[in-house]
Amino acid sequence: MSTRSLVLIALFTAIIVVLGLVPPIMLGFFPVPILVQSLGVILAGIVLGARGGAFSVLLLLTLVAIGLPVLSGGRGGLAVFVGPTAGYLIGFLPQAFVSGWIADKVVAKNVTGWKLYAGLFFGGVVGVLINHALGITWLANFVGLSLADAVIGNMIFVPGDLAKAAIAAYVGHLVSKNLGTRARG
Amino acid sequence: MIHITDNSSGPLHRVPTTAKLLSLLILSVLLFATTSALFLLALAGCILAVALICSRAALAQWLMAWTLLFTIAVVVTWTWVSSGLEAAIVVLLRLSALSLFATIVTATTTIGQFIDTITALARPLERIGLANARDIGLAIGLVVRFIPEVQSRYAAIADAHRARGLKMRIATVVVPVIIGTILSADEIANAIDARSIRAQNAKRD
Repeated sequence: MSTRSLVLIALFTAIIVVLGLVPPIMLGFFPVPILVQSLGVILAGIVLGARGGAFSVLLLLTLVAIGLPVLSGGRGGLAVFVGPTAGYLIGFLPQAFVSGWIADKVVAKNVTGWKLYAGLFFGGVVGVLINHALGITWLANFVGLSLADAVIGNMIFVPGDLAKAAIAAYVGHLVSKNLGTRARG
Repeated sequence: MIHITDNSSGPLHRVPTTAKLLSLLILSVLLFATTSALFLLALAGCILAVALICSRAALAQWLMAWTLLFTIAVVVTWTWVSSGLEAAIVVLLRLSALSLFATIVTATTTIGQFIDTITALARPLERIGLANARDIGLAIGLVVRFIPEVQSRYAAIADAHRARGLKMRIATVVVPVIIGTILSADEIANAIDARSIRAQNAKRD
């Protein structure tokens, strides 16, 4: 791995951590303030691509595992890997990889404008679905909720995460417009 | 960045990290395999006793982690409503015992020990040419170093918004943070290479 890729991955992990520390930002069209840390994870895939995004999230999970309070709300330590929401946390990894893979394909096609936006949004949505599927699987199999209960409980987070996918696609298409493929090292 | 490590070197501090991680794994399998409330109660009692005797700091840290306790409370309440009291007690004991034990492991292990363990685990990967084990330590160091950097970048952009009377919006805040950070990657990578930090690592191996 080149030093530049290593630095980019570390920098993006830092961005994800900082997005978890900043106060929630109000969106113009969305009535509630949103926590932006999971936006950072969607962005890692869309901006850095499959490999960079997955490594960036892996680095984040490593920091969590060694006990640094890098998740939103100052969470960290091994306890979050065995808590009720552990599936969502582990799910960040395939999420970043798959949305990054789709984003790589879309950017390689050299499309611009709304086609680029739609492609990145699609990548973000697929990533969110994978993350939620893993979260529900964990809740249903290891926490003791019934599958139906887990799916219903999960519904609260669906609109917010879809909105985040839309924002991530918007940000991703602006970054790609300004930097081209420089971030996909 | 606060890492609460119980600095009083109790007996648990001297247990090897791999042994602690392995016992966490075994405990989680054990807790999820059983549905007997009495057995779970006994296990949870043992873990609480270990926390009280060996690492009170871990217990304090666990009690302070309110977001984690809150999610456990939500799941337990939901289970109580949908499947009755006994199932709720099982879920409560299982999740709180496990998260308490995980907090004990975190509190009695320093970050340095964790990095050493991860590096050791990555050695086999290095041998087959998949990863450079020392890069892991470098990457963790870089993140810890860059968090304040990204934070000040964010603060500068927020200040610029305030000075111009603009509303904080995701597009006008997050986009400059990301683009500025990506642009600085070249400089940092060149600085690392100029000091041949990674080359030195390769030589030492």
